Amino acid sequence: MTDVALYHWEPNANSGKPMLALMEKGVAFHSHYLDLLEFDQHKPGYLAINPLGTIPAMTHGDKVLTESTAIMEYVDEAFDGPALMPADPVDRWRVRWWMKFMDQWLAPSFSMIGWSVFIGPAVRARDPALLEAAIDRIPMPERRVAWRKAIHGSFGAAEMAESQRRVAHGIILLEAALAEREWLASDGYSLADINGFNLAYALPLSQPGLSNDTLTPNIMRWLRAIYARPATRATWAMGRTDMARRVTILESEPA
Amino acid sequence: MTAKPILYHGEPNGPSLTALAAAFEKQVALDLRPIDLAAGDRHAAAMPQDVEVAMSIEGEGPVLLVDGVAMTDSVFLACYFDEIGTGPALRPADPYARWDMMAWCRYVIERVAPAAAFLGTQAHLAPALVAIDDDAFAGLTGAIVSTDLADRWRAVRSGDYPDARIADSRDKIGQAVTRIEAQLGDGRDWLMGPFGIADLESYAWLAGMVALVPSAFEAAPRTRDWLARVKARPSVTRALSLARTAAPQDVWAPGPEINRWG
Repeated sequence: MTDVALYHWEPNANSGKPMLALMEKGVAFHSHYLDLLEFDQHKPGYLAINPLGTIPAMTHGDKVLTESTAIMEYVDEAFDGPALMPADPVDRWRVRWWMKFMDQWLAPSFSMIGWSVFIGPAVRARDPALLEAAIDRIPMPERRVAWRKAIHGSFGAAEMAESQRRVAHGIILLEAALAEREWLASDGYSLADINGFNLAYALPLSQPGLSNDTLTPNIMRWLRAIYARPATRATWAMGRTDMARRVTILESEPA
Repeated sequence: MTAKPILYHGEPNGPSLTALAAAFEKQVALDLRPIDLAAGDRHAAAMPQDVEVAMSIEGEGPVLLVDGVAMTDSVFLACYFDEIGTGPALRPADPYARWDMMAWCRYVIERVAPAAAFLGTQAHLAPALVAIDDDAFAGLTGAIVSTDLADRWRAVRSGDYPDARIADSRDKIGQAVTRIEAQLGDGRDWLMGPFGIADLESYAWLAGMVALVPSAFEAAPRTRDWLARVKARPSVTRALSLARTAAPQDVWAPGPEINRWG
């Protein structure tokens, strides 16, 4: 019986990172699905585990872990199974560099666009008083601001343009890195690829004018190679929404 | 390894201090090359122009050159030194304790460092940039590949320091000190038990905040003692001895950006 439990939403972005890392390592875990759109992550039951109300969180025995990228490094170190970090110290540095670049520069831009087109419209129609009460329960002030913007559709034109600029530039940088190496940060599949797939799996659908077989053949090769892995199939099969089902775009044949 | 790694570093403050002291802790032999980060030296044509330099989340920080590979981001440089060096470990061996340290460092990188750089550049870099003529400044920013980093330089020069952001940054420094004070509450000397990267990274961003946000440190005796202990480490003393100015904790260049989204 496993003593690992993961509290997660869809196989997407931060939730999907430890899901896929655990699957790759062959670690069994209890899945606790939190519906982000129902604000499950701000309810008392979950706040008892992670008082900040951010997803995902993992428990291993009596240990509680948060921060998806740091959780992934823990999963790689604490459990048997295939190594998800390269052996060479420079390569290990490069894995960490790319994860930080994606976590702090590229992913927030994807996320801002995603929240404006997916999260906001999905919850906007509900009773405003209930929504406001739900927002008031969010522990982190930064997250309260984010939710209000998404619900009210009050993103500024300049910040959306900046996010779109970063997505476009990030795609160019990913393509260049993947033209240089088979995998994102080294010659072997690593946590950087798991991180990157969670960010980019739907790129050919969400940014078809920027990422496709003609413009970004290496990104497409990389996404299809990750999608072909059994662990990836098993992880995305845990998705419940159309957002996660976007991954099937990768079943297309290379043009 | 074919040659000694080269470390291009700024004044021993912020990320340069973390990288220097970590290398000294681990007894890693380096070819040290001081550069003036606050003058934009990192963007000079002779410097490595790799994507990992141009797009470093840390903003203006040190660059380590190992066999032609240009490496940035001080916490990860410290991890690299920890893996190749011979001195005592700078990270716990136990995976959970190591997670705890990396999550702490992530907090410093994401919440504390941007606030410190914001306040530090306002106090110490803005006056110098205002004194530069327009053409020279355009030359400096024109050499910067990252659009958003160049924008942060321009914001410093134009005095774009909204009151709300100043207040939030001061809060972030106060919250960091509160967190450190609690962490030291059981009487331990170092943040994670044994001395390590979390101590270096936290000290490096906060040392210059004592003068800028003194109220944050007033009711934090354990934090003040911890600052003094870190400063007295031989590795930190040695790093500080490389300073080319009288007060390296007052030398700031644009750092990581304040979170745009959550």
